[in-house]
Amino acid sequence: MKIEVLEMSDRFAKFVLSDASIAFANGLRRAMLAEVPTLAITEVNLYNNTSVLYDEQLGLRLSLIPIKANTDELVPKEECMCDDNCPACEVSMTLSAEGPKMVYSGDFVSSDPEIFPSDENIPIVELKDGQQLFLEALAHVGHGKNHSRWQAGIACGYKTYPVVTFHNCDKCRSCIEACPKDIIQMGPSGAEIQDNDMLECTLCRSCADVCGINAITVDQDERAFIFNVESDGSYSAEELIQQASKALKKKSDGMLEVLEHF
Amino acid sequence: MIPVRCFSCGGVIANKWEEFKRRVYEGESSDTILDDLRVTRYCCRRMMLSHVELVDTIAPYY
Ligand SMILES: [Zn+2]
Ligand SMILES: [Zn+2]
Repeated sequence: MKIEVLEMSDRFAKFVLSDASIAFANGLRRAMLAEVPTLAITEVNLYNNTSVLYDEQLGLRLSLIPIKANTDELVPKEECMCDDNCPACEVSMTLSAEGPKMVYSGDFVSSDPEIFPSDENIPIVELKDGQQLFLEALAHVGHGKNHSRWQAGIACGYKTYPVVTFHNCDKCRSCIEACPKDIIQMGPSGAEIQDNDMLECTLCRSCADVCGINAITVDQDERAFIFNVESDGSYSAEELIQQASKALKKKSDGMLEVLEHF
Repeated sequence: MIPVRCFSCGGVIANKWEEFKRRVYEGESSDTILDDLRVTRYCCRRMMLSHVELVDTIAPYY
């Protein structure tokens, strides 16, 4: 298995995974979307809310705010050994504001300085003159498969690596015009696609269809995948991929354990 | 209020809303702003483009 990173920024990642099966690539994709543990607000104790939003609407907005935390130190509430709640399974954050003011996710005061909303500028509600908001939010660890509030990977996807080959090109240039991505160029021995541009190919086959002498074959390498990963901010893109791999490893370790004690 | 996340893909969009709104008022065209903010998928773009702020409409009745 090989990984070639094309882009790795805080929230975006693009990489080519090669020498891997479709099953593994899809497993990784699904783990990023659904199996990565994150922290999100699940309960809200409202002491005062005179804003224009109902309590439930406010709760929904709060729950969808991504929270940055070290989830290795936290456990989901169902798995925690405590009776009701403890610092390992529950994080409390308070929010108190009085209008006129726009309340932002950055206004939260967290009980743990390491745990805070990953974006400070998410508008929660606009308070008009005299309106008040006072609440305590309780955040718990969960997984994207249960609710979108815990979904750390956004629209993570992959496509198989395109392989477009040209044989005995007669330089008619019709494929160059047909390509919707404008990646076909005229080289010394006929039409060609640069290696970097190949990533852009969508396997639309327009070039093969328009070629009068069937000189173009459009194929895909089913052992190589171009991944596009986006994080919601609760993890960096790099951490998200690591966490997804960890989640896969945990699952297979669990399977191994079951088989050993069979 | 702008939804915190996109309904379709779950991407956070509310953190880009105020910059988007400001730059639209300043006369920039919305497609270049969205490209600039890396709101690339059309599900997220429609969240921004079609949003109507209703707080000021409702507030007098509270
Ligand atoms: Zn506990
Ligand atoms: Zn979207």
